[in-house]
Amino acid sequence: MTHDNRGLGRRDVLKGVGAAGVVATAGCVDLGGLGGGGGPYEIGMVDSQTGSLSAFGERNQRGRELALSAVNDVGIGGRELSISVQDSQSQQQTGVSAAQQLVNQQGVPFLIGAVGSGVSIAIYQSVIEGTDVVQLSQNSTSPQLTDFPGLLRMSPTGRTQSTALADIITQDGGGSVAITWINNDYGSGIKDAFVDAYDGDIVYNSSHDQGQSSYSNVISQMANTDADSWLFITYQPEFTTMTQEAYSSGVTDQATWYGADSVQGSDVLGNTPEGSLEGMKIVLPSAAVDQENYQSFASEFEDEYGRTPTAWAAYTYDCVVTAALSILAAEEFTGAALGDVVRDVTRPEGEEVLSFEAASEILSDGGSASDVDYQGVSGPIDFDENGDPVAYLQILTVQDHNYESTGFITGE
Amino acid sequence: MPEDTRSAFEGGEDTSQERIESATNVVLAVAALGLLAGALFGLISPRYLVFLVSLAGMYALLSLGLNVQWGYAGLINFSVAAFFGLGAYVPVLLSASGSPITDALPPIAGLFVAVVVTVLLALAIGIPTLSLREDYLAIASLGLAEVVRLVVRNQENWTGGTGGLGGIPLFFEGVPVLGTLARDIGTVDVGFYTLGFQFWNSLLNAALVGAFVLGSYLVLRRMHRSPWGRVLRTIRSDEDLAEALGKNTYAFRMQAFVLGSVVAMLAGVYYAYSNYYLTPDIFDPIYTFYAWIAVILGGSGSNRGALFGGVVIVTIVEGTRSLGIGASWRLFAVGLLIVLVMRFRPQGVLPPRDELIWPSARGGEADE
Amino acid sequence: MLASPVATWSGVVAGASAPGVAQGGLGYLPQLLNYLANGVVFSAIIVLGGIGLSLVYSIADFANFAHGDTMTVGAYAGLLTLGAVGSAGPQVFALPLGFYAALLAGIAVAAVVAVATHYLVYEPLDTDSIGLLITSIGVAFVYRALIQIQFGRGFTEYDIATLRPIPWIEDLTGITVTEHEVAIVLVASVLVTALHVVLQYTTLGRTMRATADNEALAKVSGIRTERVITSMWVIGAGLAGAGGVFLGLYNQLSPRMGFNLLLVIFAAVILGGIGSVYGAMLGGVVIGMVNRLTPVLTDFGIPIEPAYANAIAFVIMVLVLLVRPTGIAGEGVS
Repeated sequence: MTHDNRGLGRRDVLKGVGAAGVVATAGCVDLGGLGGGGGPYEIGMVDSQTGSLSAFGERNQRGRELALSAVNDVGIGGRELSISVQDSQSQQQTGVSAAQQLVNQQGVPFLIGAVGSGVSIAIYQSVIEGTDVVQLSQNSTSPQLTDFPGLLRMSPTGRTQSTALADIITQDGGGSVAITWINNDYGSGIKDAFVDAYDGDIVYNSSHDQGQSSYSNVISQMANTDADSWLFITYQPEFTTMTQEAYSSGVTDQATWYGADSVQGSDVLGNTPEGSLEGMKIVLPSAAVDQENYQSFASEFEDEYGRTPTAWAAYTYDCVVTAALSILAAEEFTGAALGDVVRDVTRPEGEEVLSFEAASEILSDGGSASDVDYQGVSGPIDFDENGDPVAYLQILTVQDHNYESTGFITGE
Repeated sequence: MPEDTRSAFEGGEDTSQERIESATNVVLAVAALGLLAGALFGLISPRYLVFLVSLAGMYALLSLGLNVQWGYAGLINFSVAAFFGLGAYVPVLLSASGSPITDALPPIAGLFVAVVVTVLLALAIGIPTLSLREDYLAIASLGLAEVVRLVVRNQENWTGGTGGLGGIPLFFEGVPVLGTLARDIGTVDVGFYTLGFQFWNSLLNAALVGAFVLGSYLVLRRMHRSPWGRVLRTIRSDEDLAEALGKNTYAFRMQAFVLGSVVAMLAGVYYAYSNYYLTPDIFDPIYTFYAWIAVILGGSGSNRGALFGGVVIVTIVEGTRSLGIGASWRLFAVGLLIVLVMRFRPQGVLPPRDELIWPSARGGEADE
Repeated sequence: MLASPVATWSGVVAGASAPGVAQGGLGYLPQLLNYLANGVVFSAIIVLGGIGLSLVYSIADFANFAHGDTMTVGAYAGLLTLGAVGSAGPQVFALPLGFYAALLAGIAVAAVVAVATHYLVYEPLDTDSIGLLITSIGVAFVYRALIQIQFGRGFTEYDIATLRPIPWIEDLTGITVTEHEVAIVLVASVLVTALHVVLQYTTLGRTMRATADNEALAKVSGIRTERVITSMWVIGAGLAGAGGVFLGLYNQLSPRMGFNLLLVIFAAVILGGIGSVYGAMLGGVVIGMVNRLTPVLTDFGIPIEPAYANAIAFVIMVLVLLVRPTGIAGEGVS
């Protein structure tokens, strides 16, 4: 009857381990196919199916499914590719748990993940680093990933957008810039990289919050500077509001406007007055739209999903194909072997191939990883020593209140 | 409102407490054995098991801390998340390569700085709010915690802002043996598993949080039984009496507030060094409300209950994740749980019984 | 009440030459007037939310942490309704009739949800105001979770065209305000006036005020307090629902929209005085104006960014609690 505390140490351990077990057993029971025998090759993927980045998760899903069917139409040495997907819920802890389950429970040697940069880094440092497992992020753009050479990514670093913007502004003769950026990791990442890359004067640098009704104070403060260039790093609804308020205050012609990728969209054009955005330049990470493999990818995508593909779907498509090619080129289905070949299948040594089918012909004929150079639907890829791909950006200019493509930049 | 409503968290006549306790113990024991068996037979990765235990420890720290403030001293403190975040951010800001301030300090030194900062912040929040009425204290502490969150979010020159902090080293980096222990052990093959660097590292982190939990638990238990604890209990149940006895109730409550905040801060330290990337999201009030559920569910005033509550939170958080249930359903479950507990068993599963009574006065008489 | 601050500011502005006010002097006035106009609109929303919170505090005697999420419920009920009814048809203040239907839906759904919650959750609970406070947090989570499950966690907007500001106002005063914002202020005023009429001139209002003052006495004098309490929830939550719909029109909709505003509304109610509906209105106006005037600080070189607008409200709240806990107009709660 008396509950004194002598045996508490034991009880605490029991309790601590105990209740968790009830649920751990629910989801963790899986011996995992380790690629033995004739079953499918199983790799893992951590995606933002829910949470703040779930829109990316949707795009990724389309790219993934299209790629899977392209790969499995050909097969990998007679076997199929299977991807075990777990939800990161757009959070680090959940993403790390998901990665642990895939890597430690199911034993996958190749992990595609994640969307959010913080999640990718957290997964790398707490699950992947020190092991042989290959990690390839589909959507992370923070410059911080460059510091981890073992962490590969398919979407180029946000730094390339920023460098491109800095170059464009300088080429256009802009010597002083006023920046406003949305206060989240997307906005701050691009802003930080731009501040590094740009040589001229930054006379105004202020963040704003998402989802506000009015940004008139930002606009008026920008107008109060003497900057000749204004840079907007934000999303469509916020940018629409800003444009309207700038137009109302009559300051849209005060400076040349530039924008990062997310400020463009048909909603923006639809809700802003004619002439308010004239001459604005926007950079957009883009697949190589003139390339034939992109065009066939795009038309297949449209047939399947009834919409044009985004760059994000294209990145995920390429992640799956790169994984498949690595499996094909590697000596065995282990992380170490895959890690040896994953970069080479995308690098310039070797014959340029535009599809999994073409590459698998070369590789099945006894070719090695350096005999192919896979050109993805998102760009040439070409992983560098930091695990970053070459960037491919489109430059859009607003002309007659429409977006016109006025050039491409291949980033460094 | 009628004067005869019970004070929050007092249950009614409860003869089933014994049965509930034994039932709880049985369930937990079975689950524990199930987990261990699962690990032994290759069904559950030991790394995941270690992770779960560590997470339970983290939430246990949050609820132990809140238990000092609410359970001992009756403070409706809604600023727990601010200290959780602080425990994560301060050491990292001094030791991570991604930090805008410096990366020169070893994380252990950062821990001591975090304690100091926690005490200062606790004073800063406590001084204006601790003398307020209960519900005002709740609102005001929540408001001030929000101010902290907004500062961390917007002062990116100090905190890295929404871009986050990366490049976080291992917690024991720079410490002679422990710093390289995980690497030195190397890879060990045991049964189904190959235990490598990542496993030893997680084990080390688990030991860290375990040490925090054990240390906090022992210290708090000691203090609870000390004269200090006795005064606090008196203050909680009848403040006027305490004042009449000449006790400076304000000072005692402030001490409880600061102590509880330091314990909560330790949870943040573990979080940072096991997640490797920080964003201002960890200042979200949801962590405060997790701590509250843990304390309510476990039984307010009871340290055992606080630990149990921590385990329950992990069960909810990780359980819903394992079952593929999304964050929204989890939020729903948490909300429903609060409502159900308050409705049917506000005293929690393991309320303090004899813990609150000075051992020599177990006959039920009041203290002198 | 607003006249003297405006006059003071104009004087300050006319003589100031601070950085950021580079156009100097009266050139800043339109921008300042814009902030004030934003303040009026935002105050309307805060007032709608604050009245309900104050009513609950005075009649049901606890701090209702689910109040913000009640606003969110109203906003999303409006979203559904507008989606169903559509944006076609005649427009009043450039808002389609569908929006007004959405407004009514928001009010009704919020009221129903609140009354249901009262009877299912709060009423059977035999606990003090702290217990109810904690329970209301659980209720808030349930509301928000259900909305997230149904609508997702991201931002959405009402399917109503974004407007350009009203030209003649802009030409005359330099203030950029859209018809939507005018609608918000007008309709909110109508609702608040209606409430005032109810409180002062109807039996229900009298009984509500009596119950708020002294519930035991009210019961003894034969007032059906249960009916009063139900009416209180209906009115309080209904106004919150309207506030939520307007908030969604003013900003964007997101599942956290109400909770994010909750503390600001608490600040308004505390400033105005807990337990006083008129105090809540007053506090709502002050907090709303201060919140939207925050950019003035950076315009004059004080490094407190507009992102800290809410933080300022919280600090004001804490100061009020320390210095004058009954607020400006409150009588204090027993």
